[in-house]
Amino acid sequence: MRLRAEYRIGPELKFLANLDMMNVIGRTLRRAAIPYALSEGFNPHIKLSLGTVLPVGLWGEKEYFDLELTMPVETASFIVAMNNAFPSAITIKNCIPIDNRTPSLMKVINSASYTFKLCSGGINLDSWREEFLSRKSLVVKSRGKKKDLDKDLRPGIFRIDVNNSQDFDIINMWVSSGETINVRYDELNDILMATGIDKQNIQDVYRSGNYIKHGAEFFSPLEQVN
Amino acid sequence: MSHIGGKILYGLVNETSNHLIERVFAPWPDMEDIMRKERIPLFSLESFRPLTDFDVVGFSLQYELSITNVLNMLDMAGIPVWSEDRDEKYPLVIAGGPVVFNPEPYADFFDAFLIGDGEEVLLEFLDCYDQNQDIPRQDLLIKLAQIEGVYVPSLYTVEYNADNTFRAIEPRYPEVPTRVKKRVIKSLDTAYYPDKPILPYMEIIHDRAVLEVMRGCQRGCRFCHAGIVYRPVRERSIDTLKRQARAQLENTGYEEISLASLSTLDYTGVNKLVKELVEEYGDKGIGVSLPSLRVDAFSIDLANEVQKVRKTTLTLAPEAGTQRLRDVINKNVTDEQLFRAVEAAFKSGWLSVKLYFMIGLPSETLEDLDGILELLQKVKAIGDNYARKPVEVRASLASFVPKAHTPFQWYAQDSSAEVEEKQHHMMKSRKKRIKVSFHDSQTSYLEGVMARGDRQLSKAIFRAWSKGCKFDGWSEYFRSDWWAEAMQESGIDPDFYTHRSRSYDEVFPWDFIDIGVNKDFLQRENEKALQVTTSPDCRVEGCSGCGICPNFEVDLDIRGAN
Ligand code: SF4
Repeated sequence: MRLRAEYRIGPELKFLANLDMMNVIGRTLRRAAIPYALSEGFNPHIKLSLGTVLPVGLWGEKEYFDLELTMPVETASFIVAMNNAFPSAITIKNCIPIDNRTPSLMKVINSASYTFKLCSGGINLDSWREEFLSRKSLVVKSRGKKKDLDKDLRPGIFRIDVNNSQDFDIINMWVSSGETINVRYDELNDILMATGIDKQNIQDVYRSGNYIKHGAEFFSPLEQVN
Repeated sequence: MSHIGGKILYGLVNETSNHLIERVFAPWPDMEDIMRKERIPLFSLESFRPLTDFDVVGFSLQYELSITNVLNMLDMAGIPVWSEDRDEKYPLVIAGGPVVFNPEPYADFFDAFLIGDGEEVLLEFLDCYDQNQDIPRQDLLIKLAQIEGVYVPSLYTVEYNADNTFRAIEPRYPEVPTRVKKRVIKSLDTAYYPDKPILPYMEIIHDRAVLEVMRGCQRGCRFCHAGIVYRPVRERSIDTLKRQARAQLENTGYEEISLASLSTLDYTGVNKLVKELVEEYGDKGIGVSLPSLRVDAFSIDLANEVQKVRKTTLTLAPEAGTQRLRDVINKNVTDEQLFRAVEAAFKSGWLSVKLYFMIGLPSETLEDLDGILELLQKVKAIGDNYARKPVEVRASLASFVPKAHTPFQWYAQDSSAEVEEKQHHMMKSRKKRIKVSFHDSQTSYLEGVMARGDRQLSKAIFRAWSKGCKFDGWSEYFRSDWWAEAMQESGIDPDFYTHRSRSYDEVFPWDFIDIGVNKDFLQRENEKALQVTTSPDCRVEGCSGCGICPNFEVDLDIRGAN
């Protein structure tokens, strides 16, 4: 049996690297006595796969993993058992059984949203947004493997929402991830600086979601499983 | 984070007493820079409180050269490093661990040393502190000094002879004991052991469930400090160990169980325990690991049993290159056994072996060094004969450091120049495709100074730290030039401690620490070394009279076989 789970990993654990996260989930599965399946071979490991890597330094509101089990388990009891065994900063929010043929998270997740929380009273975000989206290109120095090459982020930025509240401002950006254009959050950060957001004003950054984008629509990996 | 002793004491205090214990580690120098710049005093990991908020600050001294880190940590915490500069408003600074069996070089920095098995004495120490918080520090120290296993250095005067050798150490108060007896747990089987160790998020060294299958080792290798000071052997029963394994796995979710001790393959129940653990946990993908292997084919069979997984590097420690020298050091291993072990290993799929040796052992000649190279070559030939691919053979060569309380405590240690000459000789005659690596000779030399040092060294330690020495065990930080200056400015000739052979009638600064094993026994063992005669394991062939059992009214506690 295969399961797909959606979880939140809170700010307390934002410095965990991907491998540490795999370890935390693995150890939690053992503590919770979940009948996880193991791979064959000399060095068997739990058949567990995570979605796109959550960058070190960010926490995540909706992250995903797929897990293979040796026997059927009720999703509700899976959630309870895991949440009892997880450290308090990690919580499974939702979980569904998926088909053996369902493509992996890595294959289907093609976009993500990042949320920047700013001190209020900075620049006017509505006009900033308008100006930002009107640009034809937004070039940054690439941060990933092809370091320091010019990279145009504009085609990979799908949507921006801004929100002013009394205490803080929010910028929410939907961007492309994966194969075609991979917009990294540190590059987004650079672009925000370059367009007039003051670095000092950024209080928090987190990944608010991972999506499967079809045309103009964003689906959660729990909605689109085939 | 990985140290078992620390986990034991942490759990013991927090789970079984009314006291509270928190952790603090030496920050890496980049972190230290920031903390000093921002004026953040060194604080505990649990409550973020500065160390000055605690009543007692304890260090586990695992390695002689960590002393500069101790001074640095105290200084970062705003605690004076010299014990005489600390009054009631500062915490008591104490230490335990293998290094404190010769506490004298560090005596002026600590208020007290806890000698022997920590879990046996720590709570008693803390209770006594708790009940006497309001009395003057000096009176408190006198009370603490009366607890068996506690050494309070400031309550003793030390005298030296005209030639600078040690004459005597005398208590300054009648209530304070003349000899400090180490503490020993009689039954490890019933001793506290943590079922719920702290589970770190980030990967640490030895990131797995650890079972301490036994304490002590009675093989009697004559160079080995731990083998003498942790006598007698005390085992846990298989039932206890399986229960502890279950509890730790349930609480942590670890994917591996490691069987720890000085010589795990000598645990009498090792075969049965390994089989049963593999049976119980194997299908959950939880593996069993053995930290060290003995040089024999049985070890390899057992390793095969547990390492159904990856066959990485096999490590074995023959320690010396010729039979003669192995007999001198009482490493009871024959060439035959070694060859059979590697043959078994290569046949069963291992492709890489690492062998540990020491250079500078008593009575060593060039022949013994060449013997190491020949041995390596034979191992390589066996490998190429039996393995499916060319094998990798590596040798790691440490410099022998004579340690206090061992049969070799009377010997002169090689100077750095002598060690380097030997290294050079070996590199010259080394064969291709065999990698040989050496420990840094300067580090071993300084370790040697501390290992048999006395109280006069504290000035030099302080000076070295003041010059910036810290993380001396890390080659990128170790500054032998600063240490040399510090010694010179303190009027200390380090060769006096290392490069000098001692006579049997010399009194040693560590003689007053009663480890249970008689000095006569050490001397007898040394005599046997000179005659190239071995001594058997007292578990197998009867008591060889080291003295611990009658002296401390303890006994070998062998439980694995039942
Ligand atoms: S006193 Fe005898 S039996 Fe006890 S540890 Fe020493 S040699 Fe072994």
